Amino acid sequence: MNISLSAERAAQKPRVDIAAWFARYGTIFSLFALLIIFSIARSDVFPTVDNLLNIMNQVSILGTMAFGLTVCLVMGLFDLSIAAMATLGGYVATFLLVQYPDSIGVPVAVLIALATAAIIGVINGLIVSYLGISAFIATLATGSIITGAMLGISNSKTIITGIPDEFMAIGQGSVLGVSNPILIMLTIGIALWLLLEHTQPGRHLYAIGGSAEASRLSGIAVKRYAPLAMAICAVCAGLGGLMAASVLGAGRPQGVGDGYLLNAFAAVFIGASSLRPGKFHIIGTFIGVMLIGVINNGLSIMGVPTYWQYIVQGVLLIIALFSAGILAMRRR
Amino acid sequence: MSSADANGAPSVVDGADTAPGASEIVLEVKGLVKEFPGTRALDGVDLRIRRGEIHALLGENGAGKSTLIRAVCGASRPTAGSILVDGRMVTFNSPQEARALGIAVVHQHFNLVPQLSVRENLALADSLPRRGGIFVDWNAMEHRAKKLLDRVGLRIDPKIEVSKLRPDESAMVAIAKAIGSDAKIIILDEPTSALLPAEVSILFGHMRRLASEGHSFLYVSHRLTEVFDIADRVTVLRDGRRVGTWTRAAMSRKTIIEAIVGGAKAWVDEINDADVVMGEVVLAAEGVAGGRVKDMSFAVRSGEILGLAGLPGSGAEEAMDLLFARFPMTRGSLTLNGKQVVFHDTRDAKEAGIALVPKDRHAESLLPGSSVRENISLPNLSRFVTDPVLRFIHRGRERAEGMDVAIRLAIKMSSIEASIDSLSGGNQQKAILGRWLASGAKIFLLNSPTAAVDIGAKAEIYNLIRQIAASGAAVLFTSTEVEEFPRVCHRVLVFSDGRVVGEVSGKNATETNIMHLAVGGGDEH
Repeated sequence: MNISLSAERAAQKPRVDIAAWFARYGTIFSLFALLIIFSIARSDVFPTVDNLLNIMNQVSILGTMAFGLTVCLVMGLFDLSIAAMATLGGYVATFLLVQYPDSIGVPVAVLIALATAAIIGVINGLIVSYLGISAFIATLATGSIITGAMLGISNSKTIITGIPDEFMAIGQGSVLGVSNPILIMLTIGIALWLLLEHTQPGRHLYAIGGSAEASRLSGIAVKRYAPLAMAICAVCAGLGGLMAASVLGAGRPQGVGDGYLLNAFAAVFIGASSLRPGKFHIIGTFIGVMLIGVINNGLSIMGVPTYWQYIVQGVLLIIALFSAGILAMRRR
Repeated sequence: MSSADANGAPSVVDGADTAPGASEIVLEVKGLVKEFPGTRALDGVDLRIRRGEIHALLGENGAGKSTLIRAVCGASRPTAGSILVDGRMVTFNSPQEARALGIAVVHQHFNLVPQLSVRENLALADSLPRRGGIFVDWNAMEHRAKKLLDRVGLRIDPKIEVSKLRPDESAMVAIAKAIGSDAKIIILDEPTSALLPAEVSILFGHMRRLASEGHSFLYVSHRLTEVFDIADRVTVLRDGRRVGTWTRAAMSRKTIIEAIVGGAKAWVDEINDADVVMGEVVLAAEGVAGGRVKDMSFAVRSGEILGLAGLPGSGAEEAMDLLFARFPMTRGSLTLNGKQVVFHDTRDAKEAGIALVPKDRHAESLLPGSSVRENISLPNLSRFVTDPVLRFIHRGRERAEGMDVAIRLAIKMSSIEASIDSLSGGNQQKAILGRWLASGAKIFLLNSPTAAVDIGAKAEIYNLIRQIAASGAAVLFTSTEVEEFPRVCHRVLVFSDGRVVGEVSGKNATETNIMHLAVGGGDEH
């Protein structure tokens, strides 16, 4: 017995090093490596506070959506409706403001838009929990329904005129030099980090994602959590779209969220490969979001054509998932 | 090629090998060493398999059985030592090369494709018969399949899908497949784990016949009773070394178990009724039915360990799930502490102080990739909640309780934050039991709690079950291994076809009596 124990310990020591270190810290390492490379290459513009805030501002919508998506993926649910949900968030808010300028103020419009997203998120969750349809397919379907509904309501027309300045201020204003979108992203991030790491519902979400059956046999009301997770995800997506509409100063009934869908998944999965390989978590997602932001910003500052951003992101995603996979395999 | 020394007089490995009439050695392993970084999985292992013999290979998990099999079948290369087939030294670079020399492995799940037919599965090992080099020649495939099935004595339609076969038939198809590739030595890795007793004896019948025709079997199993039934010789490994080889005449249950675990620590005495203090009836079932359970009545007292025995499918295991409301009760009533109760779902059962330890640890109880702490606190998180609205968890208290459980149950781990996957099966199971001890459950439903744990850890778990009962909880226990009931339970209810057909306790609670009742042997004891 003692022999095999000490042998196991001896086996762990030298081996863990490089591959495990890479799996755990590889993404953070690449983030810092990129920061250093870009800082040296364009020392005049890249390594400035302004540019850092600029990067964070650029990723704030993506970050908000990715944080929400993290909550769903912790439970093992793929939410593909976030693209349509983002469109809905922005369009519903601007639609209400323009249609009822006298009776509905900005806070109410925002509230109704997010509540609509929440309700659809709950419906997503109910479909998954009680109809037993996989989230992947269910949200593909509800996403299509939302897209159709938005096109129908809008007659495919973008809302440009009549959006009040208070609404534009959401995305374009700032507090003490930090733009509102950054503050919104960070607030959502901190709130969801607290939820997932330090509250009972969060721990239950992780437990269900780990083993739904073990959770059920431990007395956890498993079916109640899909509506919760998907509502949170939907609200974050709707909020992201609302920020986009505010920044843009327009309520587009179509395609607002499409550009964010893949990037949000990429950020969350890159995040699952860092610090806690194989697990989705908010800090990881933040690293993933920042990595995407730094790559896009750095490459464009260096004058690299835009198409390279897509290619570099794709390569990075594969490397991140591969390195996380190495450790997951090792654990077995 | 050092074939000369192997073909000559067999060197003395131990007494068993020099028995008179020692026949031809088809496979010999000499001084096999396999090193992984920092550990020696095999440390100079010798093994000889004779033509036509059924040779059992025993040992705890981690003793080196799988490493040995992997080396012999070409799946991995040994660090040192030699493998001789028919007296000739060989080096395998792949399982294909081993198969070409007549060594085939039948894995636990039979490496068959369930969605394909028997004839397709039998053709998988070789290139498919073709017509004109392109189209599959189904007739030739069928013909070949029939020939192989005839050889193993299995009468089934080759067109039938493998998923529709009985487990023993699947096992025989897997063996037919091995023989189809001209295997002389067939390695069976726990082939009976999915089989019913009747199916096991059919399989053994076929194995004996094939052995008498000159095929040799290397048979790996955890079920000692079966090993004693089928094996001509037994080799035991421990910590990567060979402890010994015994012929059928020379082996006894006690020697083999001691060889497996090393020393006398694992020989658990049958439970002694004298030191039991039983209290009030805590759980009573009256005419309960649901799922496979057709009629169940019992009353279990605090401090009592009540066994629910029966063959697979008899309803004994399902009774556990039924009591925990994993599926609905269609008839009958449950009384908990004198009050009638109805559980709508597993939550109700858990809240009522019932704990279920299900059979499949990996699918039903562990949180893979999570820490030991998270695995222990899973059903108990609400106790660490600090406020009623946001429901924040007090991690310090959660951790302290996890540590407390780990120390009390002597869970071996590098830290409470270590991944549960890094623990051995026995320690994982202790964490699961600890989870429910911490929850303060008063009724424990244990379904095969020692499944896939080492013999040494089994003894610890038996003791733990006794401690749980001694602390005033009521325990319901079931297992697929009948030999466990006399060791664990004060009293055993025997199920057959969904009904309780008998009850044995005290001196009468023997394996034989339980089996007699379980197979429908009529009279109660």
